[in-house]
Amino acid sequence: MIGVLRTLLSSIPRPIFFALAALIQVVLVGLMVYDRVRVLREGSEVTLQTRPVDPRDLLRGDYVVLTYDITNLPAGDLKDTPSQGRGTPVFVKLARKGDFYEAVSVHAAPVPVADGEVLIRGRATGGANCGSTHRLFCERLHVNYGIERYFVPQDEGKAIERSRNEGQVSVVASVAPSGRAAIKRLLLGGKPVYDEPKF
Amino acid sequence: MSERAYRERLEADLTRWQAEGLLPPKSADAIRATLRPVPEGITIATVVGIVGGLLIAAAFLAFIAANWTAIARPLRFAILLAGIVGAYGAGALFDRAERTHLADLSAGVGSIIFGAAIALVGQMYHLGDDFAGGLLLWASGALAAAALTGSHSALAVALAAGCAWSGMRIDETANVHPPFAIFSLIGAMLALAWNTAASRHLIAVAALAGAVLAGFGMVQGRIGSPNFTVVAIVSLMVGAGLLLTTRRGVAVRAFGLTLSTYGAFGLAIGLAGVIAEILRPVTPNLPYLSLGIAAVAIISAFAAAVAAQRAGPVLAALSITGALVVASGLIPTAAGEEPWLSYALALSAMLCLVVSGMLDDVRPRIVAGWLGLAATIAAVTWAVQGSLLRRAVFLAVAGLVAVALASLLGRMIGRGRR
Repeated sequence: MIGVLRTLLSSIPRPIFFALAALIQVVLVGLMVYDRVRVLREGSEVTLQTRPVDPRDLLRGDYVVLTYDITNLPAGDLKDTPSQGRGTPVFVKLARKGDFYEAVSVHAAPVPVADGEVLIRGRATGGANCGSTHRLFCERLHVNYGIERYFVPQDEGKAIERSRNEGQVSVVASVAPSGRAAIKRLLLGGKPVYDEPKF
Repeated sequence: MSERAYRERLEADLTRWQAEGLLPPKSADAIRATLRPVPEGITIATVVGIVGGLLIAAAFLAFIAANWTAIARPLRFAILLAGIVGAYGAGALFDRAERTHLADLSAGVGSIIFGAAIALVGQMYHLGDDFAGGLLLWASGALAAAALTGSHSALAVALAAGCAWSGMRIDETANVHPPFAIFSLIGAMLALAWNTAASRHLIAVAALAGAVLAGFGMVQGRIGSPNFTVVAIVSLMVGAGLLLTTRRGVAVRAFGLTLSTYGAFGLAIGLAGVIAEILRPVTPNLPYLSLGIAAVAIISAFAAAVAAQRAGPVLAALSITGALVVASGLIPTAAGEEPWLSYALALSAMLCLVVSGMLDDVRPRIVAGWLGLAATIAAVTWAVQGSLLRRAVFLAVAGLVAVALASLLGRMIGRGRR
């Protein structure tokens, strides 16, 4: 069997293998972009209010650090239930209240949502290691949704961070049916300053 | 010994034996004819060509970086893809021209560009969330390229990215990361298929890194003793490696030898680290998985002794056992006393490693054992607090016991010869 495989492989010209390696890597990179574009195109739009970040955080490279009103939330029914530790996936139900979407409840698995509600997927980076085994949800969770960084052109980040800390920055995120989110638009004082192109 | 060094020595011996009349010229020629042609090493021209290529690549990258933000996003994406395709295209051309080292390097460069593409696409499309996932993607793509093209540099990139992926997951989840073992096994299968020294060394280094990462996972997750876990994994490298050296197949035996050698070095340094208490266990638990690994390590070493009918693996098994007992922390120590028994057992384990290497005539294992002895003595010196006199007495007693053992062995070997 191995001999047959070896004969078969040795009959294929070697440049084909190099081409295949390039194709695999190109496809993998392409899938990253396709996945993001799909979330932006097919997701429901939710507007989220950002929160001030510790002013000691410096602008890291060319991206702005964003946190939201939905970043720190009460665990609710999840408190004292088993978790997988730091990074446990959670699903947060959002409902519109005024201009922004706010967190209604947190769940360990996807749940059905009513009209006007959206389910967003995140990871509990804090509050998932309580109890003697360090594997229980705590009273409050710190959740990351994958929309905590926004890369901007150089030298434009500081102005945005100042506005963020004054509560003037909000984000329009696109949330796919799977719960995954992507930033679609950055708003300053309600006006769009950055718009994600489709591709 | 490298192939070239072996050929030079063989040629010198053949010439000498012919001159002394021990070997007829026809026999010498017949011996020469059985040898494969020496693979062409890297020439000076190749080295200069590599430097030139790297400089051009660096210039290209610097130009792109200077104008990156001004370039439209789709064009940036196209540039990244062109970089990947260009590198592998160059690799294919070099391969056709039988410039294997350059082809190997091109595939490695392609894998590095692939990693850069993942990072830059992440930046362009604000995919800043899952860095570990990005590293997994990089490691997987590079491993696929290594498997398809036979490139050692792509394998090196894959293993480095794989280690970074595992480290990041351990930090994120505060837990051990078993998928790294599966990733390493795939790399090991490649090394077996290729049967090259470079690939064996790469896999062995990755295995050592995996042992250290597992230790940190134990610390982060407060699951069990990190010392015992690290020593168990390196012991498995020694035991399983020795067992592989008894199998049929040149590639398997060579792989086993490399794995056991690296495991021996890991054991030497790991045991000294245990004695010096570099990693203080948050919990003394010995998880079932670590115990299982330790058991398999010891059984494998004894199985190797039975299969090969040699004493060397028996002593290696004793060395492993001693090290595991020390790392387990199970040896009772009276309150306020130093763990003298543990120190003695650690020294005995390293002595067994040296003797094992001598019996099997494996010089690197002998060196590992000597290194372990030196490191353990240094660690004992570091760890002992309080009375220096007691430490001096311990080392003197240990030395006297070793001298007595040496005399006894000398007499037994002398009697055996007579």
